[in-house]
Order: sequence, then structure tokens, then C-alpha cells
Amino acid sequence: MFEYLIFFTFAAIAVIFSAIVVIHRNPVVSALALVVSFFSLAVMYVLLDAPFMAALQVIVYAGAIMVLFLFVIMLLNLAHTEEPITRPIQQFLGITAAASFAITIIYYLCKAAVLHTGGPAEFVSDARAIGVSMFEAYIFPFEAVSILLLAAIVGALILSQRTSAITEAKDGGAR
Amino acid sequence: MIPTSWFLILGAILFSLGVLGVLTRRNGITIFMSIELMVNAVNLTFIAYARELGSLHGLMWVFFIMAVAAAEAAVGLAIFIALYRHRETIDVDEANLMHW
Repeated sequence: MFEYLIFFTFAAIAVIFSAIVVIHRNPVVSALALVVSFFSLAVMYVLLDAPFMAALQVIVYAGAIMVLFLFVIMLLNLAHTEEPITRPIQQFLGITAAASFAITIIYYLCKAAVLHTGGPAEFVSDARAIGVSMFEAYIFPFEAVSILLLAAIVGALILSQRTSAITEAKDGGAR
Repeated sequence: MIPTSWFLILGAILFSLGVLGVLTRRNGITIFMSIELMVNAVNLTFIAYARELGSLHGLMWVFFIMAVAAAEAAVGLAIFIALYRHRETIDVDEANLMHW
């Protein structure tokens, strides 16, 4: 019973704050609402017997990625940029498409409902089980992800530097 | 135990909100946050099915999705910084150099 109360409370929080992320015109408010949404999803992970994933969600998403977003908003001074409401046809089509997508997917989820409560009891998802799985079965994807992150760091640095290396090389060649 | 399908429906609602944001907003940062919302909805679905099937594979996928989302956020925000330097805006309608 208590579990259900927590589920509905945090599901409502997640949906409401996600709606604020999408609807609100100020990007700072959107970013802070996104943090709340991530936290309530972490609660969902705890309800799903995955506390390690909940910790990871808080650290990686609510910590690292959101700080990145807020830093960029601050860096570009976007707090006061309000986008005017234009293009009514485009807006209407977007809302219609999203609503029909939601109705369709929820209809089929309800139709093919996975309703038998309680999965297998031996679902262990502590850090030890995840670590063993990661460094035995998933060692290759793990290494691939580390290379991907390295590439992302280099790419982000090159993209965001003030004068790009290419134009500098061109200028050097001209001189 | 809460039925798995409830988590799936919550994930579907959050994903649809993300779709709505991507389709209707023009602020680049907000579109990016909507994409993060969609990624999180998919993560919730993965973990719900991992519990339903009693397997760790879903959790491993969530782990890798988080890493890829972090990389994507870093590169995407760098692209928006570069765009802002060139155009003084991050309205995605203004970035129409490759528009036919």
C-alpha cells in the first residue's frame, strides 16, 4: 500500500515537472524542473529494486549533465531569452503528433499489459552483481564506451574553442 | 509489488512529453532537455523490464545509455556554444545554412 502511495506521488511529480520542462519559456526554470524529474525517476528505480541505478541516476544526470546544462545557459546568458509564440500550424501539428503518439503507445501498453505482479524473486541488482556482469560479459562495450567518452571530450573541446584550429592553420599558412 | 505495466505507462507518458518538446520548441537547449527526458523514459522502461525478467542485462544497457547520453550532452552543448558564437542565437530556426 505504502509502495503504491510512493509510486503515484513521484509519478505525478515526474509528469508535472517534465511538462514544465517542455512548456516553460525560461530555460533556467526548465533545467531546474528537469532536475526534479530526474530525482523522481531515481525514486522509481529504487521501487524497481535497482538502488545502484538510482544512485547513478542522481550522480550522472542530476549531478554531471544538469551542471553542464546550467553552465551552458549561464555561459550564453540565456536566462532572459524568451521565444515568442509563432508558427501556429507547426505548433498544432507538433502537439497533434505527440498526442497521437502518446495515445497509441499507451493503448497498446494497456492492451498487452504485463499485469502479473512481482517478477522473479531472485532479482539482485547490487553493485557487486552489476560489477561482475560489467567486467565479464560486458567488458567490450565498457571499453568502447570509454573510447566514446574520450572522443566526446576531444570533440567538445575542438567545437567550443574560440578560434578553431582549422582557421588558425589557414591563417598561419597565409602569413 | 507494483505492476510492471504501470512503470511502462509512466515511461510512455514521459517519452511523449519529450517528443512534444522536440516537435514544438525552437530553443536549442530546451530541445536538448527534451531529448534527455526521452532517454530517461527509455531507461525507466529498461529497468522495469529488467525486474520483470529478473535479468541484469537491462541494467547494463541503462549504464551504457547513461554514458552515451553524457557524451551526447557534452558534444551537443559544445555545438550550441559554437552556434551562439557565429549567430548570436540558439534558436534552431536561425541555423538554416544547410536549408534547401
